[in-house]
Amino acid sequence: MIFLIFKRILLGLITLFIVSLITFAGVEVLPGDACTTYLEREAYGAALEACYQRLGLNVPAYERYLSWAYGVIQGDFGYSLSGEMKINDVLGPRVKNSMVLASASILIGIPIALLLGIITALWRDKFPDIVISTITIFSMTIPEFISATLLILIVAIWLEWLPGIVIVPTGASISELLPNIILPVIAISMIMTAHMARMVRSSVIQVMSSDYVQMAILKGVPYWKMVFKHVLPNALLPAINVVALTIAWLLGGVVVTEVVFNYPGLGRLVIESISNRDLPVVQALAIILASIYVGINLLADLMTLMLNPRLKSLQIKK
Amino acid sequence: MKYMLKVFSATLVSLILSFSIANASSGVFKLSHDLGFGKDTNLDAITKGRLFQVVIMTQNRLVRKNLDGVTSPELATEWSANADATEWTFKLRKGIYFHDGSAFDAPDVKYSLERVKDPDIGSPAKKSMSSVTDIEIVDAHTVKMKLNTSFADFPLLLTDYRLRMIPEGSGDTIGQTGIGTGPFMVDKFDPEGTTVLKANPEYWEGAPGVAEVHVIAIPDGEARVQALLTGQIDMNRYVPFSQKRIFDNNPKFNVSVVPTGNWRGMVMRTDTAPFDNPKVRKAVRLAVDRQELVDLVMGGAATVSCDTPVAPSDQYRLKMDCPQNISKAKNLLREAGYPNGISMTIHVSTKEPTWPTIAEVMQQQLAKANIKADIKMTPSKSYWKETWMKKAVAMTRWNERPADSILHEAYHSGAKWNESFYKSSSFDKNLADARGQLDFNKRKAAYQNAQKTLWEETGTMIPYHVSKLVITSSRVKDLDDVEVFSIQWHKLKVD
Repeated sequence: MIFLIFKRILLGLITLFIVSLITFAGVEVLPGDACTTYLEREAYGAALEACYQRLGLNVPAYERYLSWAYGVIQGDFGYSLSGEMKINDVLGPRVKNSMVLASASILIGIPIALLLGIITALWRDKFPDIVISTITIFSMTIPEFISATLLILIVAIWLEWLPGIVIVPTGASISELLPNIILPVIAISMIMTAHMARMVRSSVIQVMSSDYVQMAILKGVPYWKMVFKHVLPNALLPAINVVALTIAWLLGGVVVTEVVFNYPGLGRLVIESISNRDLPVVQALAIILASIYVGINLLADLMTLMLNPRLKSLQIKK
Repeated sequence: MKYMLKVFSATLVSLILSFSIANASSGVFKLSHDLGFGKDTNLDAITKGRLFQVVIMTQNRLVRKNLDGVTSPELATEWSANADATEWTFKLRKGIYFHDGSAFDAPDVKYSLERVKDPDIGSPAKKSMSSVTDIEIVDAHTVKMKLNTSFADFPLLLTDYRLRMIPEGSGDTIGQTGIGTGPFMVDKFDPEGTTVLKANPEYWEGAPGVAEVHVIAIPDGEARVQALLTGQIDMNRYVPFSQKRIFDNNPKFNVSVVPTGNWRGMVMRTDTAPFDNPKVRKAVRLAVDRQELVDLVMGGAATVSCDTPVAPSDQYRLKMDCPQNISKAKNLLREAGYPNGISMTIHVSTKEPTWPTIAEVMQQQLAKANIKADIKMTPSKSYWKETWMKKAVAMTRWNERPADSILHEAYHSGAKWNESFYKSSSFDKNLADARGQLDFNKRKAAYQNAQKTLWEETGTMIPYHVSKLVITSSRVKDLDDVEVFSIQWHKLKVD
């Protein structure tokens, strides 16, 4: 078990190393560099030299990679393109904002997803299933930039119930953020809930049709007792991985939703720093998002291992 | 308890009353900016990362352009030149105070303008001040500027939106405080969130009509349109013309189209064959149907230009017609020794979203005159370094500048950004004559002669100057219908 954990952590670190190499190489291969894009028509002569000097672009690429990687290991991402702000200071509030958005979506989305998934599975092919499944498939297939825009149109422009886009400073406190994130949370939850509900549904259906459940029914175990005691614990175990992936997606992947609603999270920072050609920040973001994915997946795998007695014993036998 | 309540509510009512009587400014005007400079964003007008939406409301210039585009007094009340226009004396307005309470006088002017030339700051505005060799404080309210050249239109240069007056010695803090003499004062500066400006009740042109201005960061263009639709902002000057229909005939919004001095163009290097022959250059330019470009690329929202970079609203603009003339273009090519036409490669990038579209439309138009144009896409990231001024034919774009500035910066034989490598002694002479000519009509004639020379010889094809779509909420009143730097913000009101 401990060996397994170490193995997974090591694999995760190798993944991060490869991601860092790819990001760095990708940035190097692009035509032009941070200084020519920053200075535009002024990119010549002394100004260009000074910029190279300031950003340390006048040393060979591998040396820059090494010193950058050394900083990252110590948790220091260096300075943004202008050289005025530490990237760590830029990222801090953005990470918090994305966490707020993700937590709210998870707190609302997961219970609803479980409920819907279980209802559709237990009433499979009956009226509730048909209605709910149609709706979930519908909201799964509409891209978020359309559902988000429609939400703004209906709720903010026509009904004038809520503000359309989020206007809060990046460093806003959680109590300032919460009233503003209702629409983004709905937009995100629609897709996330739909995906998870479908997942839960098929998992529950699978367990319901397994031999031991049939046996329990034949033995006369009361229906609801059977559902809650035997079916759900077994059916929800595979959902852990799905939830983990969803959390990772929520932290960095809701780029479109954040941009449409002007939400100051990591996703919008990705777009902003790419359009400002702020490559040091882009590199830092790539590493952070990769770490979030690797870390959360690792956690999910370990949790599944611990909760599933069969997997645990299999590992020990090996 | 009841008594306390009564007293309390009475105080409250009288407080509100006294406040509203004392302060005529009311309401909040909200606008957005695109956070185009990210973390660099600051309130120092002369730096690259200046948040101009704030600076133009909190700080004044010496000279501004009035609504007709003519120089008029701002913090300078009058000015005069010596006989050859190399020395300029400016009288400063008296009784003006900065937001921090200090008085505005000559040393502030010297400090503010000399900073622009500071190599450590590397201001993009330094060109406007490059001819100034010395700023002399004559007395507390008079300054004398000495130039290294004759320049009859020097006051026009001082209308540059970046040349703002700040308190002497405030250079280290101005980026955060934005202190000036303007109608609004910075209350809270938050570049990534909402920057709050408060009315300056002591403003020298009178207290502003609105009590607060909120300048809100909304990087995404679509989100800015949403914000305007939902009433979260009151003005959006960056709505693409494709979205004009959303706002047309909507009683909640006012739509106006404002011509600007910003232009797009195609540069043929005059030092590279076959474009080293002026006849070839003119043939290419004659083969272009400018009105069609305006209609197809800009949806009609642009002013046709005949290869003059001078803005449509500029007093020195040469007004002429230049319809497409295929037969004349073919003749010129024949005379130049290309009876079977020429072929060329137009280098574009998505740095400017309309470049590829302009090139595609021109490709069709040029074909009629036996000019075969290929279009080559180059990386936008290195466009200014690797493509522009390197390839024989490449696209360009410039923002509005006074006639003298743009003619010098893009065409003078000694200019660093002479993008077409154009060398013409008669053109240079016209510019020099204009600078030394204190008589307005003669000066105008010299500038227009320079533009006529360009029409005959230039390598830069300028089809149009773009217009800007300005959409405001209908609750906004008395907003001047001009480009953003000439708006008199203190007159603005909101319902």
